[in-house]
Amino acid sequence: MTPHPACARSDLELGRLADGEVGVVRRFLLSRHLRHCAACAARYEEILTMRRTLRERLPAHRAPPALAARIGAALAAENRPAPVPSHPRRPAAFGARLGGVLAGGGVGVLAGIGLTLLVMGGSARGDRLTEDVLASHLRSMMGDHLTDVPTSDRHTVKPWLSARLDVSPPVHDFAAEGFPLVGGRLDYLDGHPAAAVVYRSDRHVINLFVWHDPQGGEAPPAVRLRQGFTVICWRKAGMGACAVSDVERATLERFVSLVAAAG
Amino acid sequence: MTATDRQRRFELLVLPHLDAAYNLARWLAGNPADAEDVVQTAYLRAFRYFETWRGGDVRVWLLAIVRNSFTDWARENRSARLVFRAEPIDADHDPTPPLWTEPTRDPEAQVLGELDGQSLATLVQGLAPEYREVLILREMEDMSYKQIAAVVGVPIGTVMSRLARARALLRRAWLAMEVA
Repeated sequence: MTPHPACARSDLELGRLADGEVGVVRRFLLSRHLRHCAACAARYEEILTMRRTLRERLPAHRAPPALAARIGAALAAENRPAPVPSHPRRPAAFGARLGGVLAGGGVGVLAGIGLTLLVMGGSARGDRLTEDVLASHLRSMMGDHLTDVPTSDRHTVKPWLSARLDVSPPVHDFAAEGFPLVGGRLDYLDGHPAAAVVYRSDRHVINLFVWHDPQGGEAPPAVRLRQGFTVICWRKAGMGACAVSDVERATLERFVSLVAAAG
Repeated sequence: MTATDRQRRFELLVLPHLDAAYNLARWLAGNPADAEDVVQTAYLRAFRYFETWRGGDVRVWLLAIVRNSFTDWARENRSARLVFRAEPIDADHDPTPPLWTEPTRDPEAQVLGELDGQSLATLVQGLAPEYREVLILREMEDMSYKQIAAVVGVPIGTVMSRLARARALLRRAWLAMEVA
């Protein structure tokens, strides 16, 4: 087959096309070329195969829990000469900064997924809850304490949590939907005990917090975006719930719709 | 801002990227112990120079520090094998001949077959570090060319050619492994 002039740099060009790194005009020209050049089309397919295989199978290395602890200790040692404030949690400056981030990021376009998703405006209570949820999520992944009951058996997780809380949290294994159950944990949110039901989505951890909500009432899922994390909270039938993860927002929304549908 | 505020802010912003930092260091260093040292050094450095973060992409900022920490570590340990070459051989200035096509008698042999994760890891680890890192950043961290360029500290054009070269080399090794 005679190489088309456009094939000269095709490795690079086809790679860019596969990576989504070409402009609309060039994408059009390359796509048209691919329809007429079997050699380039085959190469392009191969790049896609390679890409898919790498993404699906190349083993990801996760930081060992001890490393997070060591880094935390090293940072504290670095900081030692400084005075220790009496309220280490949630410094005002940081809260204000996060508030700014939220105000900027909270006006995103909302996609319906069968749920009415709202972005809460700037309610202080929601802010504090979101911040608590995010902090608990980070803590759960930093140390060696993601779960108290590390099992995918929901018939073990649910009674364990129910026995320790004034709420019987919904626990399901959504493995078939891509969210396998990892286990359960006791946690605290906003000064109240909460159940943390832990799921995974590929390499990402999803923490689902559930607690007894004495005020009752209903609130549809509200999405907040913080520092690359998505937090979705809602209230239903005397329970408050928040899901948090660094998965794609749409993925977490799908997870929440599963939880909401399962009841 | 007190020192503790600063630390807390640092932790909230930067610790979430610990897995990404470790994954890159692990792929560069090739073993867990050295990767941990590199990551810890990088985090301390990042903490000391936290003020140099200008509010952009934290992950890009952090991974650039991880990469530099690795380079320093490799230099100190005289692991010439691990050190990045300033300019990879022919990759940037030699668009021809096509790297992708190799003459073969059997067209079937040119089809990339199934590979399990471990074999794939062996192949990727076998690439020179300047190719390995762009592949890791692109396919595992899902970074754009612009982000990769910022982490590696090279122009976007260099990222493109290194990626193309990395894929060509990986393909060659892949086919060789299938034959073996």
